Amino acid sequence: MTVDGGLRATADSDLVARAAAGDGAAFHALVERHRAMVYRLAYQFAGNHHDAEDIAQDVFIKVYRSLDRFRYDAQLTSWLYRIVMNACIDHKRRQAPAGWAPFTEDAELKMANTPEEGPGPEEQAYGGQIGEVLESEIARLPPGQRLVFTMRHHEGLKLSEIASALDLAEGTVKRQLHAAVHRLRAALASARVTTGGRA
Amino acid sequence: MSGCDFDVVLYFYNEMDTVDRVRATAHLRDCAECRQRLDDLDAIRRALASRPAIEAPPTGDWSGFMRRLDQAVGAKVPAPPVSVGQTATQRWSVTHAVAFAAMLALVTIGVLMAARFRAATPPVRVAVAQPNPIAAPAPTAAAPDQSLREVSAEHLERSKLVVLGLATRDPHSSADDWQYERRLAGTLLSDTRLYRMAAQDRGVSDVARVMRDLETVFLEASLSDSGDKDALERVQRLIAKRDLVVKMQVMAGSAGL
Repeated sequence: MTVDGGLRATADSDLVARAAAGDGAAFHALVERHRAMVYRLAYQFAGNHHDAEDIAQDVFIKVYRSLDRFRYDAQLTSWLYRIVMNACIDHKRRQAPAGWAPFTEDAELKMANTPEEGPGPEEQAYGGQIGEVLESEIARLPPGQRLVFTMRHHEGLKLSEIASALDLAEGTVKRQLHAAVHRLRAALASARVTTGGRA
Repeated sequence: MSGCDFDVVLYFYNEMDTVDRVRATAHLRDCAECRQRLDDLDAIRRALASRPAIEAPPTGDWSGFMRRLDQAVGAKVPAPPVSVGQTATQRWSVTHAVAFAAMLALVTIGVLMAARFRAATPPVRVAVAQPNPIAAPAPTAAAPDQSLREVSAEHLERSKLVVLGLATRDPHSSADDWQYERRLAGTLLSDTRLYRMAAQDRGVSDVARVMRDLETVFLEASLSDSGDKDALERVQRLIAKRDLVVKMQVMAGSAGL
């Protein structure tokens, strides 16, 4: 199904209303308008196309199921951010062993000290590719830190907005951001040593 | 804080109120260590900004994504809340037509491949499953998990033919030699995803895990570049690493197929 020209100019809230009333073309128009943003976030979180597509699918399925619960005075993008963040967490939870908890204090402590599997920054630092090293380090961040860093750094959401979307205390989100930045600074220092230069 | 009560991260991300920000700016003038930390954050920002943003599936083709999304919402949402009208009816009709066509194609392909692999892989029992509605697993109310297991196992039987085809090829075959399996992997991918999601939704984790492994293999196979000489070997390593053939047989066996 393709989206007709008329729908391209229609406001998000109108598309949501029409999609909620069963208009498939309106739903498609919504997806086509926002899929790049959703995919970008999902890819930044997942680090690979397979999981990014999986997350993006989950997001739009949830959107479809929740069309009638959308508050028309809210921004669609804010609503989508919230769904994307939760889809990322759900995705990670499904992949993780039983008992995985992304944001409890114990989990935070564990996450701060437990890197995800993958090559270390030293192995990635060849050729002075600082950006590549940092990207690789982001992929190795524990999921909570990765999500908070992505939403704050790449998407520019305020800590309070992230906390609200994830239903967390702002202090918890702040600690996740600090931990992420701490590790990225360490990766940066390591990459500089390895490449012998400054970023 | 390295001896300073100044939070560089909050300053960098503009998360301080005006009073704290003015105080922090003054502190930065006198503190080389904090300036260094701020420089580091700026370096991180610049380095990450230089990386390309990934905003679309490989090759930039959204058609597969949209098709799978259509199938998923069609399969998972029985009916939109208000009067559905012609659009939803048409979508279901198209879904069923596609499912039926895919079913026929799979049965035909299954018969042909079963004959081919019976000779090539004697230890593995290859059975051709009866056709099933593949777009939407529809468990009964009485035993939803068992129904899901049965239809999933039948899907695995169909898929096993392709997995065996990929696993038993000479890893140094040319891309043309396994183009057939690659195309079938692409055909079965979206159904595999649907079964995996259905299993996840119902909490049938063992089925979900096998479907995820299968999905990964199909995705790797179907997305591989025809000019990539190592692609088949990579797919075979994936099958071996995940012990996929055995898992599929166990799953089919436990469902009584």
